[in-house]
Amino acid sequence: MRAWRIRVTGVVQGVGFRPHVYRLAKKYGLRGYVQNLGGSEVEIWVEGEETLLRSFLEDLKLKTPRSAELDEVVVEEVEPSGFSDFAILRSGTNITKVSMIPPDFGICDDCLREVLDPSSRWYRYPFHSCAWCGPRFSVIERIPYDRENTSMRHFPLCPDCLEEYGDPGNIRRFHIQGISCPNCGPQVYLVDGRGSPVNVKDPIVEAARLIDEGSIVAVKGIGGFHLACLATDDDVLRRLRDRKKRPRKPFAVMALDLKVAERIAVLDENAKSILSSPARPILILPRVPGSLSELVAPGLRTVGVMLAYSALHYLLLSATRDKYLVMTSGNESGEPIIKDNEEALRKLSGIADYFLMHNRRIVNRVDDSVVRFTDGETVLIRRSRGYAPKWLPLPRPVRVPALSTGAFLMNTGSIAVEKYVITTQHIGDLENLETYNFLIEALEFLKRTYGVSDCDAVPIVDKHPYYLSRRVAEELSAKCSRELVEVQHHVAHVAAAMLEAWEEDAVGIAIDGVGYGDDGQAWGGEVLRVGREGYERLGHLDYVPLPGGDRATYYPARILVGVAGEVFGCEEAAKIAEANGLENLLPGGRQELLLTLKQLGSAPKASSAGRFLDAVAAALKVSWERSYEGEPAITLEEYSWGGSLIGDSLLEREEGVVLTKDFLARLLTGEVKGHPRDLAYTVQFLLGRRLAEIALESGARKVYVAGGSAVNTVIIKGIKSVLGGENVYIPRKLPPGDNGISAGQIYYAYLVDYV
Amino acid sequence: MRRIPGGKGVVELADGQGGVETLRLLEELFFRRVKEHLKRVEGGVGIDFPDDGALIPLPGGGFLVVTADSYTVNPPFFPGGNIGSLAVHGSINDVVMMGGRPVAMLDTIVVEEGFPMGDLEAIVNSMLEALEKEGVPLIGGDFKVMPKGQLDRITVTTVGLGVARSPIVDKPRGGDKIVVTDYVGDHGAVILMLQMGMGDVEEIASGSLKSDSKPLTPLLPVFEKFAGYIHAARDPTRGGLAGVLNEWARSGGLLAVIREEEVPVRDAVRRFAEMLGVDPLYLASEGAAVLSVSPEVAEEVVSELRGRGFPNARVIGEFRENPKYRGFVVSETGVGGHRIIEPPRGVIVPRIC
Ligand SMILES: [Fe+3]
Ligand SMILES: [Mg+2]
Ligand SMILES: [Zn+2]
Ligand SMILES: [Zn+2]
Repeated sequence: MRAWRIRVTGVVQGVGFRPHVYRLAKKYGLRGYVQNLGGSEVEIWVEGEETLLRSFLEDLKLKTPRSAELDEVVVEEVEPSGFSDFAILRSGTNITKVSMIPPDFGICDDCLREVLDPSSRWYRYPFHSCAWCGPRFSVIERIPYDRENTSMRHFPLCPDCLEEYGDPGNIRRFHIQGISCPNCGPQVYLVDGRGSPVNVKDPIVEAARLIDEGSIVAVKGIGGFHLACLATDDDVLRRLRDRKKRPRKPFAVMALDLKVAERIAVLDENAKSILSSPARPILILPRVPGSLSELVAPGLRTVGVMLAYSALHYLLLSATRDKYLVMTSGNESGEPIIKDNEEALRKLSGIADYFLMHNRRIVNRVDDSVVRFTDGETVLIRRSRGYAPKWLPLPRPVRVPALSTGAFLMNTGSIAVEKYVITTQHIGDLENLETYNFLIEALEFLKRTYGVSDCDAVPIVDKHPYYLSRRVAEELSAKCSRELVEVQHHVAHVAAAMLEAWEEDAVGIAIDGVGYGDDGQAWGGEVLRVGREGYERLGHLDYVPLPGGDRATYYPARILVGVAGEVFGCEEAAKIAEANGLENLLPGGRQELLLTLKQLGSAPKASSAGRFLDAVAAALKVSWERSYEGEPAITLEEYSWGGSLIGDSLLEREEGVVLTKDFLARLLTGEVKGHPRDLAYTVQFLLGRRLAEIALESGARKVYVAGGSAVNTVIIKGIKSVLGGENVYIPRKLPPGDNGISAGQIYYAYLVDYV
Repeated sequence: MRRIPGGKGVVELADGQGGVETLRLLEELFFRRVKEHLKRVEGGVGIDFPDDGALIPLPGGGFLVVTADSYTVNPPFFPGGNIGSLAVHGSINDVVMMGGRPVAMLDTIVVEEGFPMGDLEAIVNSMLEALEKEGVPLIGGDFKVMPKGQLDRITVTTVGLGVARSPIVDKPRGGDKIVVTDYVGDHGAVILMLQMGMGDVEEIASGSLKSDSKPLTPLLPVFEKFAGYIHAARDPTRGGLAGVLNEWARSGGLLAVIREEEVPVRDAVRRFAEMLGVDPLYLASEGAAVLSVSPEVAEEVVSELRGRGFPNARVIGEFRENPKYRGFVVSETGVGGHRIIEPPRGVIVPRIC
């Protein structure tokens, strides 16, 4: 007879982990207890025969509930204390202050089976969930995660549900806070564009019928509203793009299940397991030609696919003709996803023809997460539903709590408390009141939840003097007149990558759009050494001009005109630009081309990888108008599929400077020759290679790659060609782009001892 | 001496653009250094309050309005006027925007050695012409010449004096409608295009787009008729409409909500602004006014303005009491979102990733 004390760390609360342990212990006849320790830890005490203990431990590790994640399992031999039974103890109190808020989980197979089983009491019930699945973060008002602290508190359990809730033998419902049934749970209903009820027997089936007829239906789901419509009808999509004022940004498609998803996208085993994971993200995949309207993702060869992640979505999709639909966030570009019924009716009435709504309040709005593959690795583009607000542990506790407000586009905020960094869900572009307010609310929620009071936290911001995120930090720390800690944009990017690995001194490559550089110019193609002593810029891409500032980002042909002007002088430049037909890539035509040259003197300069790739995309006539973030660069990457490496000298380097401007100039004069597809491939590859060489020459072995362009497969291949695949680290838990920058801001401040 | 924060120890161009940087510098240089009781004449308004000019109470009732401004426009000659007419109209308008009737003007001209005499004469001619049209006497001034290279051609400074019975000290209130009297951004667009060497574009060369520089004295009868209902008046010069609204929102602790599509902007101005990468809301006007008007008379004010030579006057938005968003200026977008219109900045740093 022996006794083990086992400490398990990870996502182990709110996911049915304790009932699972209870059942395992019972199965092997072990005695002892299981107890939440707060934080993200569970303590298990088991006593019994050693062989049984071993089997227990094996099962514990292998057969975890689907939504649980075990980061660490530590077993300690202890003296048996003669327990007579196995029990679930009440949550621990003062062991640590904080406990992790579980994210939302997609519906599990068992629940789905019950929803589809005519003999089940959950037959066709849109809100079915259990220990292993269902909403969490989106319904939580405060912790601990008890029903009373969620928006399910308005739906008291009926006698049947109550009985199951109290039954320790019912592994999926015993003490599970979110359960409900058709008798006691939320209700769905359908209203028309003016908010008048549409009285039908089955609102979901009616909504499906309306969609099949070509209507756009706003559907309230887990973390907010989607706009749902046919993915196969050009007219419907044209109408949606028109109404949403969204000319080309790709729409996500929701498929009923993997079999349906396979009809629209090319799936391998890895893709299947990500799609059906509890987080159920949007995964960007190569598209099956002919399955979708071109207007779903114009100009691209990929499509973002997700699976139905609630019973409501499943029932809706299964009643449609295609079994897959465009399901795009119900909001204006860059704004937070809409979560309240009344807000939806007000803001979406010009877009949606009907509204499929329900009466469960969404407490925390949380958009769909977006994931893609980069050279075979899974990376997050947008971290939200299913991931947020899981925390990232730090190697040691912070000295003082901290709060960071990110940057500008695709923003998030973060807080640090005890030994955790907690990043908000995806917020959006910080240029309107709605996102400004959302960031403040999301940070307030984290502060409240984790007991960080107003003046406790060190406010950390981007260095850019004009970002609205700075104003958020000022607002949040106004009462305490705390000085803001500024972190350079790309240092924060690299630090975000280092955080996951607990790295304290390293070389990073930040390939990005634009961030405020220490010289007042726009950086974004940087090799940086980042560590406890601060940071150092080891190398970078050459500067290219951005005549007209942000306008050059929207129309990258301006960058080419500017480069020509700087390299060849104004008169010659106009000729070269016109020989390349650049005036056709500018809305103002020849007039704008000439104006661009005149603006050269006052043009800001950028060492940004994103702006360079944009310019290449324009020069190769692949994409020259940015209607959404990253459009030219993303289009260029996809265009280069199947291209090959043509030589090593296309893009050269002089010490720590990669000669991007020189390349663009030679591209314009026609000195650079090759098939555009090969040129596109080669220049991306060499961009990575040259930056990696600078890193290698500085003595770096392992390199952390971050920034919005770090998801580019070809650049990553180029970096790996120098450093070897195993020495190149791309962040996996945080998005490499600006969606993860707030966590990096905190980690850098932590490294240099501000927090 | 206090060190002035920000900057690199020298005055930068951005410090004089009338944006955030200028405000910060003036705060450090003047506002926090001048003793409270020396910021105004007893009973009047001075640098204690941001507005177009100062007020000095007159013994017989009413106020003397005083305003001073230096003009350094490059180029000094532009379609629609020159630095001389601009300087006269500018100070007349500052007096008018305080609710005052202009009564006299003083001027100071500094010229660079070598400046063509013909140009100087043309500038002075248009000053005198503008003054004569408005019936405003020129009662004093100064004239200097600087050695070549020590000045860029010419600067003109004017001091405007006026009398106001019921002055308009800019205090917008929650609920007020925001009215603009005319197209905005004409002057700024023309000057920017000229600076870029693009004065030969068709719209400018043909005269269909020119600086809107003109006196705003025709507004005075409207101000008199609606005295007490017009809570603020300002000509959106440097920093444009965005600058005025941000200043008012901040000083009044209010939220300004406009509908961008309601703001009158000429097509050519919009197109040039786009090509220049600037927002027309930040472009200067030299012959338009922004008013903050009691909601109950707003429509009446607009029709009165339309009948008095301002056919493009309209309501573009309103001020709201909103404790959460004090000091913000936003534009309501089509689908009910609110894009934030930030205060003007001196330097452009690209923001987009
Ligand atoms: Fe970035
Ligand atoms: Mg005024
Ligand atoms: Zn389930
Ligand atoms: Zn029930």
